[in-house]
Amino acid sequence: MKKPRLESSTPGAEPGTGLVGLTREASLRQRLIARDEQALVELVDLATPWLLSVAQAMLQDRDEAEEVVMETFRTVWQNVTPAGEGHSGLMPYLLRVARHRAIDRLRGRRRQDRKLTAAAFEWSQDSFAAVEPDEAGHPGWQVHAQVHAALEALPSEQHAAVRLAYFEGLTHSEIAAQLGIPLGTVKTRLRLAFTRLRTALAGLKEWVL
Amino acid sequence: MKSHEWFVEHGVDYATGTLDADDMATFEAHLAQCDECRRQTSRIEAELAWLPMGLAPATPRPGLRRRIIQHVLEGKSRRLQRWIAPAALAASLLLAVGAWYAGNARARGLEDQLAGQQARMAALQDTLSIMRQAGRVLQTSVEVGGQRGGLVIFADEVTHRWNVVIHGLPPAPPGARYQFWFICADSMVRGAEVEVDPGRPMMFTTEMPETGGEVMGAALTMEPVVDTAGPPRGKKLAHLML
Repeated sequence: MKKPRLESSTPGAEPGTGLVGLTREASLRQRLIARDEQALVELVDLATPWLLSVAQAMLQDRDEAEEVVMETFRTVWQNVTPAGEGHSGLMPYLLRVARHRAIDRLRGRRRQDRKLTAAAFEWSQDSFAAVEPDEAGHPGWQVHAQVHAALEALPSEQHAAVRLAYFEGLTHSEIAAQLGIPLGTVKTRLRLAFTRLRTALAGLKEWVL
Repeated sequence: MKSHEWFVEHGVDYATGTLDADDMATFEAHLAQCDECRRQTSRIEAELAWLPMGLAPATPRPGLRRRIIQHVLEGKSRRLQRWIAPAALAASLLLAVGAWYAGNARARGLEDQLAGQQARMAALQDTLSIMRQAGRVLQTSVEVGGQRGGLVIFADEVTHRWNVVIHGLPPAPPGARYQFWFICADSMVRGAEVEVDPGRPMMFTTEMPETGGEVMGAALTMEPVVDTAGPPRGKKLAHLML
């Protein structure tokens, strides 16, 4: 069904430089707190592609991923607080909520199944592919490029462990079972990988949305 | 019993949710009483918060944006309903106590009155919310039998609902009725039947039709009573284009 066209805009977005600036983030946050529904629309426009991406990659189910994204926005809408009272930025908050929701669903599935599939998770190469040049104007592309580069810089065995742990929500024991390696090796790989990633991503602190 | 060093060492594992269930529970119990570890895990979570953006952005399917907005805002109204229900219960209890003193019949009357007023207030709030956030207001005059009235549409572009007001029209003649239509890209889609009450405007809220393609406007016609399906056959009274 077609709907009357809704004006689509993210005024204040800064193509080519990342997401939005501090001033606009503060304004958007205040408007969300004030229950400004247009601010919600702007946030949805800005964040949906990224939230959908992580939920879809984790769940491998488009419908379920969309449900996770909807729940995420509802959670943020209901719990958004003034800056400094809990969250460093809206986008990290949204990403964290979306990932946790997806992990809950993944673990729920596993509890139901009571078994892990032996097959390794078939990650779509597209999931980790760098954004094509024609998408580089997308708000957030620069953050994506930096995070992508940090992930790609990991040794392949660490990269695989991070995928299973962070994006598929497997625990240490589950990863060990899936990869057929000792538990201690899993812990070491993840510790090394996350240490590298923390260092590589430290420069992103300046991004607030 | 795990040492403090164990918790420091496993801070990343906790922050990334990779601890096994037993260790996760142990860690959470420790966090409840250790400020240092709470700060450490918060710091790690913040440092890794952008990690999901290593994935390429996904293109949302058409309509997802509208469904997200609806989902979020429906949550709001449900919260309101959750608040209204206990309030209504409390009011009902108060009325019941009063009834014990003043007589059951009177209390029942008051309860019905309260419920009716609450229902009217909820409908009014919904109508006002559409009018308040209407991104577009369309209007045109309508003349029927020498009497001039009007058709006004408040289009809420967030929830994709319209509040339609029809005013100043005489009742439909015998054998005919007013019919509201959506002008869609593929066809005219039948909307609400309009019953005109002389002396007061007729008002209704409508969702967009599921068929017919993109909504391009609306129309009001006078249709024979017997025609309840199919395209318009009667007289066109007014139309509005988006």
